[in-house]
Formats: sequence, C-alpha cells, structure tokens
Amino acid sequence: MKNSEESDSYIIHGKLALPYTYFAGRTGSTFLTTLRDHRTIMGVKCTTCNRVFVPPRQTCERCMADIRSQWVTVSNRGTVVNHTVIRYQDKHLPRKPPFVLAMILLKGADTPMAHILEGVNPDRVEKGMEVTAVFSPATTNTLLDIDHFEPVAEAP
Amino acid sequence: MSFREKNRHVGIVGIGETRFSSHREDVNQPEMIREAVKDALDDAGLTMDDIDCVVHGNMELFEMVHQPDLWHTLGTGARGKDAFRLTTGGTTGGTLVGAADNLVASGMYDTVLAIGFEKLQEGHTTGGITNMADPLWARKLQSGALTDSAAVKAIAEFGADRAKRVAMLYRIIMDKHACLNPNSHRAFGLDWDQMEDLMENSPPLIGDLRLIHMCSQSDGACAMILSCEKKAKQQCDHPVWIRDHITVHREETLNLCVNHYPNETTHRFAARHLYERNGITAPLDYFDVFEMYDPSAWWGADWIRDFFLLEGDEHYRLIEEKEIMGGGKMPINPSGGVLAANPIGATAMVRVAEAAKQVRGNAGPHQIPGTVNHAIASSFGGTMWTILMMLEKELNW
Amino acid sequence: MEEEMNVKVSDSLDTMADQELIVLRKTISVDQKFATGPVMGKFLTALKDKRILAIQCPECGRLQSPPREMCAICRVRNREWVEIGPRGEMRMMEYCYYSSPDPLTGESRETPYGAIGILLDGCQKEEVFWHLLRPEHLEMVEMGIVMGDRITRGSRLRPVWAEERSGSIDDIKYFEIDEQAR
Repeated sequence: MKNSEESDSYIIHGKLALPYTYFAGRTGSTFLTTLRDHRTIMGVKCTTCNRVFVPPRQTCERCMADIRSQWVTVSNRGTVVNHTVIRYQDKHLPRKPPFVLAMILLKGADTPMAHILEGVNPDRVEKGMEVTAVFSPATTNTLLDIDHFEPVAEAP
Repeated sequence: MSFREKNRHVGIVGIGETRFSSHREDVNQPEMIREAVKDALDDAGLTMDDIDCVVHGNMELFEMVHQPDLWHTLGTGARGKDAFRLTTGGTTGGTLVGAADNLVASGMYDTVLAIGFEKLQEGHTTGGITNMADPLWARKLQSGALTDSAAVKAIAEFGADRAKRVAMLYRIIMDKHACLNPNSHRAFGLDWDQMEDLMENSPPLIGDLRLIHMCSQSDGACAMILSCEKKAKQQCDHPVWIRDHITVHREETLNLCVNHYPNETTHRFAARHLYERNGITAPLDYFDVFEMYDPSAWWGADWIRDFFLLEGDEHYRLIEEKEIMGGGKMPINPSGGVLAANPIGATAMVRVAEAAKQVRGNAGPHQIPGTVNHAIASSFGGTMWTILMMLEKELNW
Repeated sequence: MEEEMNVKVSDSLDTMADQELIVLRKTISVDQKFATGPVMGKFLTALKDKRILAIQCPECGRLQSPPREMCAICRVRNREWVEIGPRGEMRMMEYCYYSSPDPLTGESRETPYGAIGILLDGCQKEEVFWHLLRPEHLEMVEMGIVMGDRITRGSRLRPVWAEERSGSIDDIKYFEIDEQAR
C-alpha cells in the first residue's frame, strides 16, 4: 500500500465539556457576601506596605504578610485609570459588543479593579472619569453582583 | 541513556505540607498553597528573600483554571522572582523536585522553592484525565486513571485467591500507616479481620479494582526548599541530600491494554539504570525506606517487584510477611502513601518530602524505628511514567 | 467557551458554620477542532470502507493501529500500511462500573460497559486494538492472557459497523462475539 498523502488529513469536530467547582475561600466569600447583602465593597489593608487591595486577598503580594483580618470599606465610587473597548462577539463575554472594560480605582483603594463600564459612548471614555457602581437586582454570588459601573451624573 | 554527574551537591533544607482533605472550602487555591509555602519557610527558618527561584505545578484540566502560576503568585511568593510552571501529570511533584534539583545543581540558582498543589474537589479528576487522552480515539474509551490491568496480571500469575488477598493486605497495611500520619485524608482504622468483607463487598470500579483499593481525590499542597551544598550547610543543621534522580517516560498511549507478559515496565527500567549508575547491587538491603506513588493497592503490591528488581513472588512474600511495615525489611509508605492522600500535583512531591522527613528522623508519629540513612521515592503518571529520587543522610558517596 | 452556571452556597461544613462560603459550580464547554493529519486521516478514512489499517515499523516490524507516524521505540518514520482484522481475539477488558463523564457532554456515561483490547488477525503480542464491547456480551466473553509459556485463548470477536460512517471511531459501533468462530 502507498504512503499516506497530505490530502488524507481532514478536520474532526470535537467538544470538551467538564464540570468544575470554584471555592472562593473565607476571604473571597466575605467580599462577595458583603457586596451582595450590604452593597458595600471591601478590601484588605497591608499595614506594612500601606496599601489597600480590592478585591481582597489573604496575603500581601509584596511582603507576603498575612492581612486577611485587616478589612477596610472602600467607596462605591472611583475613577477610570485605564480601559479597553471589546469589539468582538463571543459567547463567554458578559455583554454584546461594543462594550467597555475599565480598570477602576475606587476611593480608598490602591489597586484598580476591572469591571464593565456603561452609560458612556465607548469612544468618549477618558482617564480620570468619575464612575459609580450600579448593583445588580439579582445575585449570582460573583463580582457581577455589581452589574456595571457608570459615570457619576454631573450636578444639575 | 546519557547521564552526567551534578556540578554540585543539592540538599533539602525545608519541607512544608498542608493537611490533606476531601474539601477545603475555606481557602481558594493560592491561599491553600500559601499554607505549604509558609510551612516550608518556617521549617527552613528562611523567608521569601532567601528564595532565588520558584517552580510551581499541578496537573492540567483538574481545576479548570489555566495558567495558575500567574494568579497563584499570592500564595507562591513568586512576585519579582524567576519562576517556572511545570506539569507532567501524576509525576508533576517528582518533576518539580527534579527540576529544582537540576536548577540548583547547574549553578543557576542557589536556593529554589518547589511547590506542587491540587484541589481535586474543584474539578472532575476522572473527566480531566480522560480528556488528556488522544481526542480522535482514546478519549471515547478511557476511564481516567482507573484500570483493572494490574489485577488481571496478578490474578493470571498468582491465582485469584492469593492475588486478591495480597492486594487487600497491602491496602490494610497502608491504612495502618495512614492512621499514624496526622496529615492523612483517608485513615479508616481498618483491621486484618476485615479482609474477607472488603474483598467481597467494597463497591467495584473496574473489574477487580474496588473502591477500597483506589486512591482518593484530595485537596492539598506540598512545598520543598532545595539549596546548593554551601548554602544548605549554612541554612540547615541536617540537610537531606538528593544523590540522584531519574525520569523515564513512555509515550505509547494507544496500546496499553495487553495481556502479554512479562514486559519491562518503566519502573524496572528506571530502577535498573539508577542503581547501576550508583553502584547499588542489592537495593532491598541498601535502602532503609521507600515512599512509593501507589495509585491503587493492586499497583502498589505489583510494583514493589519492579522497584527492587525482584523476581517471582519475592514481592508478595514481603507483603504477606508484613516486611513492608515500620521495623520490617523494607518499610514502604510509612506516610500511608497515595492511598492515604492524593492531591495529584502535590502527591509525587509528598513522596519525596515524606522520605526526606524519615531521613531527618522527625516525620512525627509515623517515623519508623531505627536510623534512616538511605531513602528512595517514586513518582508515577501518564502512560506509565516513572521518576525515582534517591536521598541520603550523609554526603559520603 | 460556554459556561452554565449555578451557584450553591455551602452550608454543611460543621467546622465553618460561622461563615457562609461561596461555591460556584460550572461546566466548561469548549468547541474543538482536530486535524487528523495524514496518517490518522488515512486510517480513519479506511473505516468508511469497513477496513482496519495498521502502520508498520520498517525496523522492528511492529504494527500500530490506530497508526502513529513514528515507531517511538526505533525512532523511525513508519511508511508501510497493512490491512488487519477485522476479526480478532479478545485480550483485555476493562469492565467499567464507574461512570466517567462523556467528554462531549460532561454527562456521566452509561454503565456497565466494556473497553476492550482486541488482537486483530494479522497482529501479535502487544499489537492490540482498543474499542468497545457490545454491552449484551459483557458477561459472555473471555479474556486471553499470555503469561510466559502459559497461553489462554480469548473469545473471537468481530466488529459491528455503523450504518452511516464518517471516518471516526464511531464508524465501528462495537465488537461482538463472533458466532461463526464456534
């Protein structure tokens, strides 16, 4: 029999489906339940490095200190420090394109947090823009209990 | 096989383990890893400032999150340091120690932190393993790491009655060991008089492989700190020296289901080469303890023969005469082994860690009697892959 | 990537009763495409014509089916194709009681089932072919074992072909006991 040729190659469609579970842990759970039940955003403060991390974590990535008990409440308002516009459609994305993902530095926090920014034309987003959290009416026990952020309305 | 001696000696100066459990809802992945890292740093009396490089690994597809090395930095302490991620299936933990050993021996880094972890409750272990098989053929047929092949072989060779008894005896011995180890995930308190009942009534998984024979799905992490000879002697009163290690892989993924014996396993191949190049002619006499990656009691019982280059039923007699318990001819898995806990990406490292603790003499309640000068640990994974690691109390070979 | 999400709050942990711990349960589901490559492609295409091919190592002569481009032992490229089977002898069975997930759906497979190694006619020693056994025949088959000089013969098997064949593993439904062999 003859050797195989390149023309023998073809595409087979497959799928990979697997169940999994994610545990937020104690620190992550406190953050999420406070968000859900009190519409309050919390972080943890490293007193050695004098930095407030939002979302919170058990250890400071800089000095590796255990900071899990040093909770602080930060504001639901903050400023846009960076952003990108998602212009492609994919089933795993949380919105239809185009939509804005922004890095938002909440007042009282030292680390910006990524979230969806709405209520502004994607081409008009600016660094330093003041934004506020809009909470979701239904809970998913995830960071999407904040539905999105939107610009703070100008004073009338 | 080409083989070069190390540029310099490498010693184990710190060992850390989490407790092993079926569930760790109280921590996320980096938080769990942090427990083992902190334990290893405390054990060594070091801080992250002393660590030059971090090697970190687990098995792909198990937690369904990818590139964990990036977001695990909070637990590994790798921020701003050289870091590598390694994943080689069940052997991962052994690969991590082997890589750390080579990184230090090469002269590139003086002190390396190796970390293996798994949170098996977060994923689907058997599903994950099945999806690593060849997608066009084997994925439809494979049942994870569950297989009846060792039982089929043992029954064909020794008869059903003896083979089933030896497998269950091995299982009960491992449980007795596990009961002494405070980190065990599974320690049932089994006794000899339960043999018949378990042989009959433990739920079957595949053929003669029953639930009681098989390892668990565990959550946990292990961390080890390795240093070059000079640093190790400064950092630690009694480093455990890694004399040599060998890695043997076989990539024959499709033709494993055979009933054609005998054939040389990667275990025997690895053992033969490792002992030859280190001048060890009677491994059963030379080593004082063996920590084996034994995914099931059937495999564990069978593999003793390959690892010690035994013939006929010598390995069966070691089990039947309980010579594999503490104080016996060759204590195997004083920790309880993989049947006691199996956080897969950490499991093979736990074998090295537990063997090293036996050498140090401070393993805890499961420390075996007598001095342990020479220890060996094995890793197992993939399509019958083997890593063997030789540990020494003294730098005198 | 499509994720079905349902969120459960863990409340049964006696040691953690003081705090609600958040647990997310999801199924990751990713569409995939695999190129067969010329070697596997040729093998799979032949299944459409109810033919099972093996590829042969030019040095050691061993057959591989499904085929691989290389003989990993001799480290040489395989070039020659031979037709094997389709009948053969049952050598090994994994009698599976444990229900692992179907990779296509994430759903549990039906049990029990038998994943078998068949020594197809024209093959020898380890050159077994991996497929499924007809579920109704699970209790009726015998395994063949070669233990040194001791040889046990296994049941004779034949493939049951799918009506519609597309060049995939599913072109063979399963193997069943070959009545003609009796």
